[in-house]
Amino acid sequence: MVILQQVVNGLALGGIYALIAIGWTTVFGVVGLINWTHGDIFMIGAYIGFFAIKDFGCGIFTALGLAMLLSGILAWLVDRLAYRPLRGAPRLALFITALGASTFLRNMGLILWEPHSRAYPEVVQTKVINLVRWGQGTITINSLHLLIIIASGLVMIGLQLFITRTRVGKAMLAAAQDMEATELMGVEVGQLIGVTYFVSGLLGGAAGVLVGVLYAIDPLMGAMAGLKGWAVAVLGGVGSITGAMVGGLLLGVAENIAGGLVIHGFSLSGYKDAIAFVIMIMTMLLKPNGLFGQKLEEKV
Amino acid sequence: MMKEWFFGRGGRGRGGDQKGTIRSFFWDFLVLFLLLTINFFDSLGWTERLVFPPYFKHIIFLGLIYSTLTLSLNIIAGFIGQISLGHSAFYGFGAMTSAVLTLYYHIPYWAAFLMAGLFTGLVGIPLGLPALRIRGHFLVVVTYGFAEVLRIITLNSEFTGGPAGLPGLQPPSLLGKAFNDYGPTGKEAYIIAALLLLLSLVFLVHRVNKSRVGLAWGAIRDDELAASAMGINVAYYKLLAFTLAAIFAGLAGSLYAHYSAFFSSEIMSSNESILILTMVVVGGVRSIPGSILGAFLLVLAPEGLHYLKDWLGLTFDPWQVLYGLLLIIMMRFRPQGIMGKDASWWIWRRDSRQAKLSLRKGKKGVLPT
Repeated sequence: MVILQQVVNGLALGGIYALIAIGWTTVFGVVGLINWTHGDIFMIGAYIGFFAIKDFGCGIFTALGLAMLLSGILAWLVDRLAYRPLRGAPRLALFITALGASTFLRNMGLILWEPHSRAYPEVVQTKVINLVRWGQGTITINSLHLLIIIASGLVMIGLQLFITRTRVGKAMLAAAQDMEATELMGVEVGQLIGVTYFVSGLLGGAAGVLVGVLYAIDPLMGAMAGLKGWAVAVLGGVGSITGAMVGGLLLGVAENIAGGLVIHGFSLSGYKDAIAFVIMIMTMLLKPNGLFGQKLEEKV
Repeated sequence: MMKEWFFGRGGRGRGGDQKGTIRSFFWDFLVLFLLLTINFFDSLGWTERLVFPPYFKHIIFLGLIYSTLTLSLNIIAGFIGQISLGHSAFYGFGAMTSAVLTLYYHIPYWAAFLMAGLFTGLVGIPLGLPALRIRGHFLVVVTYGFAEVLRIITLNSEFTGGPAGLPGLQPPSLLGKAFNDYGPTGKEAYIIAALLLLLSLVFLVHRVNKSRVGLAWGAIRDDELAASAMGINVAYYKLLAFTLAAIFAGLAGSLYAHYSAFFSSEIMSSNESILILTMVVVGGVRSIPGSILGAFLLVLAPEGLHYLKDWLGLTFDPWQVLYGLLLIIMMRFRPQGIMGKDASWWIWRRDSRQAKLSLRKGKKGVLPT
């Protein structure tokens, strides 16, 4: 029963991880780059949401939309200014550029917003809702968690529709399979890559605001959360959106269970951040394609 | 000339002419002489006040430690072309090993120093293992994750002092006298120790690079598949590089921990790894003087900019912004670093998708051969 409650608690966090992971995976699928700035775009999204709610009095959904839009534009800008001059260069050079851009954004965050953490104002009334009554115990869900699950679900459905129903989305799918053939079909690949970064920024921003609803935010949170997102993407199989969703939920639930677990009086809560990395390393070594992924061409 | 200032032309191999030896080592001697002057000038007692303040010597020591770290990462990143973001794990593990050994088991420092190198070398093997299966930027993320796991474990275990760290480490001693008691600022002996460590690594890298091992590394870097087809034991040489790099990073970590008399899991943070990688990228790939130059530049630059900050009255540290930009600019205009040999380590043979794209667009980008 306690475990089941933890599973429900982990769903919200899992939804957020899934959002971050899909942001990683879209860029990786199309461009083949581990976009290290994604975590920092996510952090900036959280701050945009914070200021929208606190200083401009926006509602949570307006703030979410605004943060998504602005982080999307920021991600596009990063591509335009930092990555585009290196198009055609080897991916490792791109990766190091991404590392630099990420350090730059993070330190800008530190300068602008100072390294202390802040909490969002209360966006919805915190209520505990009973879900299931089962013998003695009940499984409850927090209204904030419910909000996050619904919002992240909506964003994911929107993304799925965008990718499968629109011409641009279909072009992205095609480019993920074969960039060259896509270009021969008359798709302007340069623009398409820009759109891909924009979409990944949208997802990062959404995840940022949703994290802010639940936890305190600070300029350094991008590093850890971003990398967890990558771990989730690897677990689900890089390039697979379904995989990212499943992986995100798995990691969220696993972290929540580990956070409450005590073995022989030895609390695991301090180690819960390590779970994501252990999962990532194990997946990379044992099943590099992840749960749902196609074969990676990076391997020999 | 700059390219050869560490190991001059005459000192290199059998072909060098004997006459030019002194001249070609000129720059090496000059740098060494400068370092020793800075170190020992105040010990002579010619002036009333210290000419080189303790803080300046602290910077020199840091520069030497980071040079060792950068050169050891260059073995992995430059010589076998596997980028690792887990170098701070080695550095921190060496520091932790000698801290724990001297504090809990009361082992004399120099024994602990050697054991720090040994144990860190052993840690290098599990970190090198993924490199046998994973390559390119996937390896970067795996090594990053490995370092993070190690940091989280260190941060949470009682044994290593948790978040508070392990204070009060004993200073190394020589001839029954603690390092802190030598010289007017107490940092002189540390600088000499760090210098000796760096020079031994420089010597090792220089010799190994000329040997069969260096040739094997070069073959693996250029084409792993072809190398293994030629009968090179790829796994062995990759692990050798990782172990060598780990040993020296561990030794540097041990020296640094006992210099600051304090160990904390902070030095395992990913920021350290990124800093060391930046030093490699800025200084130069596969270049010994480049590694040292990169390390000193990136240790000195924040200090210099600190003065600029006070001078201009800025409210933030300009280094924070420039640091990230530096990586971007280096990649854009000189991917092999200031003194790097060539950009060949960026080339991945099977990176064909990108390469074809650049070919069709008529760009002059680096192409696999």
